[in-house]
Amino acid sequence: MRRVIILLLTQVLLWALLAELNHGLSGWQVHVFGGALFVVYPALHLGRGEGLLVAGWAGLLCDAHAPVAFGTHGLLFAAAHLLLFRARERVPRQDPVSQILVVLFTNLALFLGLSLLRLPVAPAPGGAWGRLLPDLLASQVTLALVAVWFLALQDRLVRLGDAWAELRGHRG
Amino acid sequence: MPFKRFSQANPLLTLGLIVAVWLLLPTALKTLARASFFELTAPVSLAASRVRDLQDFWSLRARSRTELIEAGRDLARVNASFELAVQQNGELRAEVARLEELLRLPPLRDHRLEHARVARRDFSGWWQRIVIRKGRDHGIPAGAPVVFSGGVVGRVAEVHATTAVVELISSPTMRLAGVVEGDTRPISFQGGVNPTLAPPRGVVELMPLDIIANPAAPKRLVTAGFGGVFPPGLTLGTIVRADLASDGLFKSGEVELDPRLGTLTEVSVLVPVAPAAAPVRPAP
Repeated sequence: MRRVIILLLTQVLLWALLAELNHGLSGWQVHVFGGALFVVYPALHLGRGEGLLVAGWAGLLCDAHAPVAFGTHGLLFAAAHLLLFRARERVPRQDPVSQILVVLFTNLALFLGLSLLRLPVAPAPGGAWGRLLPDLLASQVTLALVAVWFLALQDRLVRLGDAWAELRGHRG
Repeated sequence: MPFKRFSQANPLLTLGLIVAVWLLLPTALKTLARASFFELTAPVSLAASRVRDLQDFWSLRARSRTELIEAGRDLARVNASFELAVQQNGELRAEVARLEELLRLPPLRDHRLEHARVARRDFSGWWQRIVIRKGRDHGIPAGAPVVFSGGVVGRVAEVHATTAVVELISSPTMRLAGVVEGDTRPISFQGGVNPTLAPPRGVVELMPLDIIANPAAPKRLVTAGFGGVFPPGLTLGTIVRADLASDGLFKSGEVELDPRLGTLTEVSVLVPVAPAAAPVRPAP
């Protein structure tokens, strides 16, 4: 449970950073979607149930700030978590290049999934891709730059939490 | 343990079960959960917004006194012209009241302005929203119109304790009735696809055939005032293109919105004021 709480706090931090970034980019009509960063670490390093809890919680956090049916992000993130969890034995989890690739492919899938759900309400669904593709490009470039840092931050905080718990166990 | 084995063997079925359980959850529970998640993160948005304000404050402190004196002088000139406009506005309001009395018309809906700082802007290709630093505690109602110096910003979509979410007119899900300035026939306006590195845009439909608009001769689009939400005459944008629609009965076109919508820092919410009880008049 300790790991889950630590990761939930990092999810709030990530959400706040993304919100600030998008606030700053709004003048240029650019939006960065970083859904994969909420999902990848829990799927690659936590147990199935714990990871599902973290991914679902992050999804609901995103849902609360988006005009979509509550649970849309949550279910998308949960689906991504289950698929990644199933494939994680075949992924070199500590290799930075592999981590970036996993983040980019997951983000691409989540972005396309959310776009397909939102397109029917757009006035010109075909024309919407003219805006969505630059957003996708900006998201992928940003994630390629920050993914390794954020996954390392999560890893370090989880290890610190484990070490602290071990120390308390020895003292106890 | 049996669940663990089941979920490991059938991850997609597990996902299907989660979806089914989620769909069966009562709406009230989901609404409560959404509000709880929003309120949980509201302090983060508010703190970030206040830090930005502090940054602005300290950057303004670095300005020289000469610049401040010049700004004060310019402001005094603007104030003088606004004071004149306020006097004219008062006379016009009195005239409207006299005509309402004379013709026994129902009074126009009145509003008070509630100014609010923008805490967060969220402009994606899917939606365009801002979060403002005032909410239920300040009397902001859901559905209230939001304006700024350039015209209409949008409509209050969600109200929370200390914040409110405003859906912008550039959002693809936003629809309202407008008229071309000087015309009375209603036109349907909808937020559009907002291209990257360009001003926000909207689209108009059901436009009468005799209205001609192009980049050389654009037409100003204002609120129609129908429906009682938006007062009439507020600027929505400029119609820069109008072509014959596929049905041949109307035109559809493109509306260029104010580019400042993307960098809003302060807006005003038009909070409806309950009309005062009309005085009892003796029958003639």
